[in-house]
Amino acid sequence: MKNITIEIDGKKITTEEGTNLLQVARDNGIDIPGLCYHKKLTPTGACRLCVVKVENMPGLVMSCTVQVKDGMKVTAFDEETEQNRRHTLSYLLSEHNEAYNASYEDELRPLIRRYKLEKPADRPVKPIWQNIPRIIDDSSPVLTYDSSKCIKCFRCIKACEEVQGKGVLSFADRGISKYIVAGFGEWKNSECDGCGECIQLCPTGAIVEKPFRGKFKIDTVEKKVITTCPYCGVGCQTEVFVKDEKIVRIDGVEGVLPNDGRLCVKGRFGYQYANHKKRLTHPLIKKNGKFVKSSWNEALDLIASKFNEIKLKYGSESLAAYSSAKCSNEENYLLQKFVRLAFGNNNIDYCTRLCHASTVTAMLKQFGDGAGSNSIQDFETTDCLFVIGNNIIETHPITATYVKRGKAEGQKIIVVDPRWTPLVKYADIWLQPKLATDVALLNGLVNIIIENDWVDKDFIANRVENGLQAFDELKAITNKYTPSYTEKITGISQKKLYEAAKMYATAHTAMIATGMGMSQQTVGTNNVFSLINMCLVTGQIGKERCGVNPPRGQNNVQGATDVGASPVNYPGYIPVTNDENRRKIAKLWNVPYENLDPKPGLTTIEIMNAAYDGKIKALYCMGENPVITDPNQNHTIAALEKLYFLVVQDIFETETSFYADVILPAASLFEKDGSVVNSDRRVLRLRKVIDAPGEAKTDWKIIIEVANRMGTDIGNYENAEEIWNEVREAAPILGGVTYQRIEHEGIQWPCPTEDHPGTSTLFLEKFNTPSGKAKIIPVDYQPQSEIATEEFPIIMNSGRMLYHYHSSTLSRKSDILNAYADKSYVIMNPNDAERLGIKDGDEVLVCSPRGNLKTRAMVRDEVLTGEAFMPWHFHESPVNALTRSEMDPQSKIAPFKYSAVRIEKA
Amino acid sequence: MQREMTSELIKEILGKYPGTKDNLIKALHELQETNPLNYISPEIMEKCAAHFRLTKAQVYGVVTYYSMFSIKPRGKYHISLCKSPVCSMMGSENIFRYLEDKYGLLPDHVSDDGLFSLEKSECLGRCGKAPSMMINKDVYTGLTTDKIDEILLNLKSKPGK
Amino acid sequence: MILNDPKIALARAGKINPASIEEFINTGGFESVKKALKMNRGDLLDYAEKSGLKGRGGAGFPTGMKQRFTSSSCQTCENRYVVCNADEGEPGTYKDRFIMESDPFLLIEGMILAAYSINANYAYVYLRGEYYQSIDNIKNAIKLSYENGFLGQNILNSGYNLDMDIYLGGGSYLCGEELTLLESLEGKRGYPRIKPPFPAEKGLWEFPTLVNNVETFSHLPFIVNNGFETYSQTGTAESKGTKIFCVSGNVQKPGIYEFPFGITLRELIFDIAGGMKSDFSFKGALLGGAAGTFVNETLLDTPLAYETLKKEGATLGSGAVIVIDDKTDLKKMLSSILSFFKHESCGKCVPCRIGTTILYDKISSTDFTADDLKFMLAEAEYMAKNSLCPLGQSPVLPVKSFLKWFVL
Repeated sequence: MKNITIEIDGKKITTEEGTNLLQVARDNGIDIPGLCYHKKLTPTGACRLCVVKVENMPGLVMSCTVQVKDGMKVTAFDEETEQNRRHTLSYLLSEHNEAYNASYEDELRPLIRRYKLEKPADRPVKPIWQNIPRIIDDSSPVLTYDSSKCIKCFRCIKACEEVQGKGVLSFADRGISKYIVAGFGEWKNSECDGCGECIQLCPTGAIVEKPFRGKFKIDTVEKKVITTCPYCGVGCQTEVFVKDEKIVRIDGVEGVLPNDGRLCVKGRFGYQYANHKKRLTHPLIKKNGKFVKSSWNEALDLIASKFNEIKLKYGSESLAAYSSAKCSNEENYLLQKFVRLAFGNNNIDYCTRLCHASTVTAMLKQFGDGAGSNSIQDFETTDCLFVIGNNIIETHPITATYVKRGKAEGQKIIVVDPRWTPLVKYADIWLQPKLATDVALLNGLVNIIIENDWVDKDFIANRVENGLQAFDELKAITNKYTPSYTEKITGISQKKLYEAAKMYATAHTAMIATGMGMSQQTVGTNNVFSLINMCLVTGQIGKERCGVNPPRGQNNVQGATDVGASPVNYPGYIPVTNDENRRKIAKLWNVPYENLDPKPGLTTIEIMNAAYDGKIKALYCMGENPVITDPNQNHTIAALEKLYFLVVQDIFETETSFYADVILPAASLFEKDGSVVNSDRRVLRLRKVIDAPGEAKTDWKIIIEVANRMGTDIGNYENAEEIWNEVREAAPILGGVTYQRIEHEGIQWPCPTEDHPGTSTLFLEKFNTPSGKAKIIPVDYQPQSEIATEEFPIIMNSGRMLYHYHSSTLSRKSDILNAYADKSYVIMNPNDAERLGIKDGDEVLVCSPRGNLKTRAMVRDEVLTGEAFMPWHFHESPVNALTRSEMDPQSKIAPFKYSAVRIEKA
Repeated sequence: MQREMTSELIKEILGKYPGTKDNLIKALHELQETNPLNYISPEIMEKCAAHFRLTKAQVYGVVTYYSMFSIKPRGKYHISLCKSPVCSMMGSENIFRYLEDKYGLLPDHVSDDGLFSLEKSECLGRCGKAPSMMINKDVYTGLTTDKIDEILLNLKSKPGK
Repeated sequence: MILNDPKIALARAGKINPASIEEFINTGGFESVKKALKMNRGDLLDYAEKSGLKGRGGAGFPTGMKQRFTSSSCQTCENRYVVCNADEGEPGTYKDRFIMESDPFLLIEGMILAAYSINANYAYVYLRGEYYQSIDNIKNAIKLSYENGFLGQNILNSGYNLDMDIYLGGGSYLCGEELTLLESLEGKRGYPRIKPPFPAEKGLWEFPTLVNNVETFSHLPFIVNNGFETYSQTGTAESKGTKIFCVSGNVQKPGIYEFPFGITLRELIFDIAGGMKSDFSFKGALLGGAAGTFVNETLLDTPLAYETLKKEGATLGSGAVIVIDDKTDLKKMLSSILSFFKHESCGKCVPCRIGTTILYDKISSTDFTADDLKFMLAEAEYMAKNSLCPLGQSPVLPVKSFLKWFVL
């Protein structure tokens, strides 16, 4: 863009050619009024308040609709423009119901004062709003619309369409009686998913949020704190409003990544749990089978003595800990330090093992890094997006806004999913393979790519280990996956396979988003190998807007591994098995290097299996709920029951804490300082918003207390920043990220030094493998060990939904989220339903060889015949009663996506 | 009384139009003309949204913007009588009064027998022979009260659509 | 003096069967296409420009200039469109309907010429939804033109391709505004777009688009067949060619009349339309419809042309000539106009949405006075300055001229 100079009211301003005149004026302190304009939206020109005069342009012009040109001379304020503004404003007021409950920022009121229109007698036109039909829609769980407060500025419509990519809102009718409508006039029956972007952008309180409506005044809010959203791995920046130590509102923070003000329904409205009456407020000790309140001293002493006792009696290897993707970097770092020093082993893992372990295993082998290669904005700007096994609209709603915006600009989208997901509505191609046939599918696509010579030979030669020889090895394997063979295994037509292969391979830039559908299988790692092979033969990585991305499910699942909550790696992905590494870490921690166990620890499911086998005797479980999240629930419960000692540290009692010996009350993410890392490797700040309830404490403080009482020094820290600075020393990829640098906006690792800007795209120059090159790892399709039988004829898939989060300990504490979804269901194909005599809405019994549950049938053609799907958030219908703990041998992940079941009418 | 059109018929009509949204208004015209109740029902809007990959509100917004579309059932014979400057100068107000007095027809209401509904319309482009009106697709000009009697009597005695 | 002048848009009206392509061709139809396809595009653009033809929809923008803009903008754009604005809705106006009902092929012929001149491969007729006969006629004409090789691939072996289709309006006056029309054609609510960009730069689906009125397109075949010199010899200094006038009111012979610009109101009403009906005497006229201007007998001898009327603060607009007589209730007529604007305002911008309501409320109030009219004029002038599109800019025309000729 060219730099130019313009003049507004005699003031010379240098700016870029083509930028918006109103924005330029405002950025330079010239406060031209305007209500329909918002910098996140395309200009509308509806409110007519931003009138100016521009030399050589006839009449009055709206500055929001003018793109600046060099030498432009603008009159923003003179008698004529001000008079017209005042008149327009009085028009608006005549149409507007001025009743104001003070619970939102009203952009109209300051203008009324500015133009001295407070008194009705001073207004040139009389009120007409009482004569216009007043439409009030109060049916949504999250908001209310009142047409008498609405100035018809289009901001809500554009917020929904342009910002969130949903297009749920429109005007109805026309002229003076037009009003905003969702659905056919009832919000609750519309496609609205409650993200509240429209509320955030409404300037006059026509759309207001329901929680706390009228219960507080905006100017009595005590503080507004910016912190990172506690839900999924997008890491949205939120501004949290606090009154009387209660969270009363959450807005998105505009102008910073990753979300630029956007939020989803969980992020904006899912905060009720923090102030929930069921929060744990005191330590609880199980005495005679009942939990009784105890002092911190008693609980901590008990824990320390039991840990020490068990360590002494059964050896160090009998202890393990679960870390948490919902705790900060600092806390995860301290817990791994605690395990390695106090337990003296590497038995620390967490739920990442249950989600992207296979993805990370494959990516580490093939690229040398397990994290997403791109930035969140690339989801908008890449030419082609290949989304496989990832229900991105529901599980990463804000990443999905970038995708939808990209689609509006002509992006091509390929969705690969055995079941319908909302992204299919935006997709150019939807491939619906039979469950667990991904390797065949991807090999089939590679076969087509090779046959049609859409291969990037230069890339392979220069950037892949063993270059064309590796390619030939791959070809030898994929040769047999001809379109007809692939069709036979996957059920996808050859035409569609061809179209998808062509679209991805021949796109100028293409990105992959992969998810649980790929990873949570016994062949999860192979799935990702074959996916990456496709990426490598087409050279769709190593360039801007190209790569492979596994969007993360939890707020700090990326960071927890980055800082070493791993049985195999120290902070920064440094293997524990390497002597040199152990020396470095020992030096940093100021302990003898022999104290560090060189043997990799047990992984999440291995820990549970070892507990079942009596090898693990004590488990320290921080912020995890394995009874719901681990496969094969009956087995998990039996394992927990076998433990000699279980400590659960959480913010609520959970299905797992029921089996604990001691429950420690922890602080929630709203109650602590620290940092997290999101899906695009962005280190983001957590800031304390409210005090923890009762005696609940921040996890890192609890860990130090336990360590001290066990007689192990893991360091003494004044605050989270001190811990973080130690993390920076331990993990070179994070070395340059100081709290000060991420005060305003996050930084993406790798960022080794304080003058390094961070890295938005990985692998531009080289891969992170020892050779610097990527690896093709050919794999063959293997049929599943578990198959549909006469007794268990249907294959059950499982996954998440927008309105709930994991084991739903947090999300089901929200009345709003419950209002959208509070019942479990199983989606089954109409053919199966008919055969089994099941109707939509029927109660059904679902049984697998492991266990059974009751739920409600939802009959939809969203799944293939012979397959079914259930969300796993509902403890009363626990999907993991059905799943098995057989593991992917390479990554130790469990096959949550594939269980043979029987469904019958209950 | 007339019945709602069937789901099959809606689907059949939509099937004739490519699923790009520029065809929405054309499809709405045909759907409304085919609907015995002469209006755009929620089911029609629902199916249009699915067919043209739009949200419900986007369809509703279009339907309620254009005055030819109605979201309320209308008479089998929908009368659009012009009230614009020329026709009103040439006497259309008398005709409105006559329709109300003699036939009980009021704008935006359907007669009890379901046969007639009335709309005050803008200029129909028949100003040379004002006042004028349309009943469904047929144009009537040079209206007088006698002519109205004749037209309505004729329609009442016609067999159903 | 002018009764024997050549007709251009209505040359065949009433003389041929509008459903018959043979009759059209036998009366010289599509001759201009045959000629044009052999010409180079630049010469064709010159023809339109040098003829002096101006848009007949009401705004009177030079057609040739618009064609040239559209042909030269965005050279990298893969598509270019021609759109016919057949959404006639101006009260008192029915000339486009008349053309489409009596000579639909003429419109197709004109559109082919325009499309070829700007190298567009798609052309659409956006037709008012209530004009059922016109819809049938144009559909039939498009179909027969395809069958006879005047549309489709490789037209008359020239290598030029043009597809044509019809879109329907849904009952919105505003959709006759060119940018709003394009929104509607794309299947959306009829909201005016921000100008610039003009359709010539970014029109339909963001591609360069030429939008012309039915009557305007209907003049192109004559110009190509007879040369721009012949065409520009008719009319006045700045208003070339003929114009269709739609005469309504209590005159002996209300109807459609095509005459060269320059004819006077007196000639039109008293010679052509036969004068007033008995019992009625002439009081004035509303020229151009609702978005037009009132005149009284003072202007009876002013030539009807863009430049002459402009001098008197009047406009010809779409060509509507609504004759007002001594029995006409003038306030009611103005009220009907203001009710029309209120009904047709899309509501997008504040001045128009609220202003049209204020104006109508005011004239509907029982104690209506001359001072109220002055208040209305002030509001209408504010609206004209601040509104987004021509609709909000229009009420000032009837209100101001009403005051000028009938009150002050």
